Amino acid sequence: MSAYDVMPDIELYQPATVEDATELAARLKGKAWLLAGGQDTYGWLKDRAKTTEAMIDLKGIDALKGIREIPGGVEIGALTTLTEITRHPLIGERYSLLREAAAVVASPQIRNMGTLGGNLCQDTRCWYYRRGLSCYRAGGNICYADSPAGMNREHALFGASRCVAVSPSDTATALSALEATMIVTSRRGSREVPVDDFFVGPDVDIVNMTALADDEVLASVRLPDHWANADFHFEKVADRNVWDFALVSIAAALRMRDGRIESARFVCGGVACVPYRLPAVEQAVVGKPRSESTGEQAARLASRGAEPLNHNQFKAPLMENLVRRALRGKA
Amino acid sequence: MEIVRYREDVWGREVLLGVSWDLLWLVIAASFILIMVHAAVMLARKSGPRPSPDGERLSRHAALDRWFHWITAASFFVLLATGVLPIVGVKFPWLTIHWVAGIVLTAAIVFHIVRSLFWKDLASVWIKPSDLAELTGGSAVPLPGKYSLAQKGMHMAMAVLVLIAVGTGIALLAQIDTPWWARSNFLSEAALGWMFLLHGLSTLALIGFAALHLYFTARPEKQFYLRSMVTGWVSRSELAAHHDPARWTPDAVASGDTTVEAPSALGADAR
Repeated sequence: MSAYDVMPDIELYQPATVEDATELAARLKGKAWLLAGGQDTYGWLKDRAKTTEAMIDLKGIDALKGIREIPGGVEIGALTTLTEITRHPLIGERYSLLREAAAVVASPQIRNMGTLGGNLCQDTRCWYYRRGLSCYRAGGNICYADSPAGMNREHALFGASRCVAVSPSDTATALSALEATMIVTSRRGSREVPVDDFFVGPDVDIVNMTALADDEVLASVRLPDHWANADFHFEKVADRNVWDFALVSIAAALRMRDGRIESARFVCGGVACVPYRLPAVEQAVVGKPRSESTGEQAARLASRGAEPLNHNQFKAPLMENLVRRALRGKA
Repeated sequence: MEIVRYREDVWGREVLLGVSWDLLWLVIAASFILIMVHAAVMLARKSGPRPSPDGERLSRHAALDRWFHWITAASFFVLLATGVLPIVGVKFPWLTIHWVAGIVLTAAIVFHIVRSLFWKDLASVWIKPSDLAELTGGSAVPLPGKYSLAQKGMHMAMAVLVLIAVGTGIALLAQIDTPWWARSNFLSEAALGWMFLLHGLSTLALIGFAALHLYFTARPEKQFYLRSMVTGWVSRSELAAHHDPARWTPDAVASGDTTVEAPSALGADAR
């Protein structure tokens, strides 16, 4: 496959308001590409692995930027850059889980340009798909990664329905642990989508990774007070410490009372097409102290139900170790 | 409008993906127009008095055959819903429901084939040259035996289409993970494209035939056939009005029996 230095010819739209953007998205339904920070977009287009007739550049819409306190939590505009998230005091004080996740996305340069919305809506990194092969996710009839000769070290342990690609988003894992709500807008109005419904697996929609319709724009993300200032743990394991996607990551939010875990959310990244909740672990740790022994007991439950492929068996013990470390607590 | 979907792969080769779902709307529109035209013609045509459902009851469908019909119908509509709704934008985890319903349909079809070959009168549903006289219409045309030419034609077409859908469906089932096996990957991308094309084409044709089948089932003068598929019987008057008793001589249903049971385990040939 050739890579090109120049962009193909694309009709560019640069709306200044959300209304204009949603109007354009409705008018160009299915023919337009929504552009945020561009960190996922330009690779696709320059490689000619995907094409589009039109592009709606959202970066000129100020209403989609910034972090603000709202009744019941904090709202982050979808065009807020990852660097802004890592530096914002509200996020650092209340939702350090998201700050830690945003801080390990790719590289400083990418975090300066990349946005929260873009990080959440980015496409999977399965190289068969990104190379432009006509796999299931590209609308075809086959999964090259899950074939006898397929290279699937980075692929899914859970929820693979024909396609075995995983979500590459670090912030998605953290937002799932924080029970975020996505605000999705279109010409038809706005709707609130719980984070667990925002990301969709291949069993529901094999060619899209989110529940966004063609004419919808992710406007913002709301973090509920419920998990503000909880005990958090985020850890990402990748082949490189920077500029890499997670092999497995974990985001844990723990609400403590009298030294014991009152409620918890554990979510793993890199093991499914969606941020993968660990409900068995969550149930097992309630009422127990955050300790080495709790970690030992809960870790065994983490990879239950995993269906490893030829080359990704290592992810199961990795998940277990990450749960162990999340429960070990602060050193 | 495209008939077949292709995709150019990264090396510039055209890869066959399957049928174009634009045809779905064509099939729906064509079925709708056909049904409307027929309904209009029938409305304009003066209909005679309908035969009475009262009187002696004669066996048309044995219980086993009725169970087969309704299980087939239920699995068919589950397959249709799970196969087509995601295409028109209704998103849900459809695949497992789809292949489970496919297995139910396949089992029902195998049962029906075995039963038809060894326990039923296969000739009653087979189109013979003498049946073609029905095409000319008019009062001089002899009444049919158990099944009219239209019913035999519908059965034949549905049988061929369902066998294609089931055959390609089994090949496609081998390409996905199930509790009993991991996906096999034994089909090349080109062969898969052909499987999806045949699966899709047969599905589209089945949608058309199913629409016609439902329409004719719902027509007032044909509703006794629907009743017979529920209860198993037709009346002596209905037999005389629509069938030639010399070509089809069904058994009488025992007095007081409201449904027709199979006389013996698999020997329920209603002739």
